[in-house]
Amino acid sequence: MEPSEPICREPIVELTNINKSFGRVFALEGINLKLYAGEIVALVGDNGAGKSTLTKIISGIEKSDPGGRITIDQVEPRGWSAAKARGLGIETVHQSRALSEQQSIFDNVFMGRERTNALGFVKRKEEIAETEALLRRIGYTSKVWTPTSTVNKLSGGERQGVAIARAILFKSRLVLLDEPTTAMALSEVAEVMEFIVDLKRQGKSVIFISHNPWDAHAVADRFVVLDRGRIVHDGPKGDMSSDEFIRLLKDSARGKVQK
Amino acid sequence: MTAATTAKAAEAQAAASSDAPAVMRERRRSLSIPENFRPVVGAAVFFIVMMAIFVVASPRVFLDVGIFSAVFLSLPIFVILGLGLVFVTVAGESDLSFPSVVPLCGLAYSVTFEWLNFNFFASLVAALAVGVMCGWLNGLLVTRLGLSSLITTLGMNFALIGLTHVLNRGEIRIFSEFNDSRIRHAIVGSWGPIPSQMFWAAGIALVLGLIFHRHKYGIHAHIAGDNPEAGRAMGINIERTKTIAFVIVGVCSALAAVIAILLNSTYYATMGEGLLLPVLAGVFVGGTPVGGGRGTIGGLVIGAATVVFIQTGVVAIGLDGYYTSLGFGVVIVLSLLGHRRFSGRLTR
Repeated sequence: MEPSEPICREPIVELTNINKSFGRVFALEGINLKLYAGEIVALVGDNGAGKSTLTKIISGIEKSDPGGRITIDQVEPRGWSAAKARGLGIETVHQSRALSEQQSIFDNVFMGRERTNALGFVKRKEEIAETEALLRRIGYTSKVWTPTSTVNKLSGGERQGVAIARAILFKSRLVLLDEPTTAMALSEVAEVMEFIVDLKRQGKSVIFISHNPWDAHAVADRFVVLDRGRIVHDGPKGDMSSDEFIRLLKDSARGKVQK
Repeated sequence: MTAATTAKAAEAQAAASSDAPAVMRERRRSLSIPENFRPVVGAAVFFIVMMAIFVVASPRVFLDVGIFSAVFLSLPIFVILGLGLVFVTVAGESDLSFPSVVPLCGLAYSVTFEWLNFNFFASLVAALAVGVMCGWLNGLLVTRLGLSSLITTLGMNFALIGLTHVLNRGEIRIFSEFNDSRIRHAIVGSWGPIPSQMFWAAGIALVLGLIFHRHKYGIHAHIAGDNPEAGRAMGINIERTKTIAFVIVGVCSALAAVIAILLNSTYYATMGEGLLLPVLAGVFVGGTPVGGGRGTIGGLVIGAATVVFIQTGVVAIGLDGYYTSLGFGVVIVLSLLGHRRFSGRLTR
């Protein structure tokens, strides 16, 4: 199935026959997925459907079972790791936010990609200035904290802001957001939604994982529904209303009962 | 839907109310010392108070140069060992094996020194090589096999001291012929009233301090102890980071061993005895918490000085040696309480 309005016909990322099992439990079975530039894909499904596992495989944290293929721009990279995924422009905002809470905001923004001189010493001033500019750009300003404040001072929404800032600082092409709005105040959810649409405007591809079908329906161009490790629906939003979308989710859940 | 909205609203309210005190706390804090320097200032205040008590209790001893020369002789060894431990601690691990790595490195140094006819540099390299190997083995056991570092390095402590005694066969090696060499003078001689090893320790502390607080590796070590999963997700090799921390302890143990042997002109296999607890105490009194993710090199230097002054001071006052332990106990507990109050966080 093709997305609604592909800007470019060639997928940025293509997953072919991805399987993942933990012991005897299949978390993912036969996943085929193409992701195009400039589209927002909502990945939805019940608890344990495999959404987070799929995200972790795309972002290189988990390895898929042998036999599956991940290609970036039609090229299959040798070895797949978190560092390689980031190097190829796949940034992830993890559900856990993946922040080192006792470290400063700027250390977190540059985590794993420090700006250093030839000897490996961090260019602190440069990192701090860039973090400040970045946080201001995405609208996270505060009189209370600065880029050198530690993350454990921040509220849940502010922490999410740091995690998101990190994802856009580097030249990313695909941004994965795993439950970015969990445990957030309503105003903060709106900000995150705004931000997701903004990413699309910049021509980036976004995978947005959510428990909340209304949030997913509001921003997505395309829905991918996972159920017990399989893709049970992959199609454009088109003029599907939120009620129809929720019915679709319910139907896939009913399918689960029949199996 | 209404249920969901109400739940969200309640959540938002809960979030807002839990945020408010945090913000106020931050405002109050921002008026005082920056967070990073807090443990250092805390350790320094503690040290000054302790010294003041010492001076009042025994002005004759503590206003004399003698006590300072005595402290400066052994302080560098405690500082150098503590430096390595700060790295391991901030990376979320512990290393109890260094009191045995020191004599094993010392043995490598001494044997090479005898074989190669007092070739200092070759012997230093031998000691460093043994130190690196011990650290690497510790790191390997902890990171690749997933063993608890506390227990692994405790086991290594026993194993390595056993190995040292087996290899050394009870010998005491004396190097008094080397006493007048220029190298020995450069390392453990004295510049004015200050023993040269103080300058070497200061140099090593400066280099490791820069690495700890400003180098990419130091930042990775902090992350490895704070949230290793986050580090992995961002592509940091946490296993390698932790292994390097253990290797730094090995290197520091080798350097401490060489300085101790040069200082005494003697090698004995029991040279590591009595190092474990004072060095650990120096790390914690200095304001590095056990939990990982935070640490301070400046604090360590002050913490080590606190410990060595108690050790030397108790004896100098003329008190029985047993009072040293009593002093340590009181100081450790008081300093932890002090750090907790001062940093506003639990120093576990």
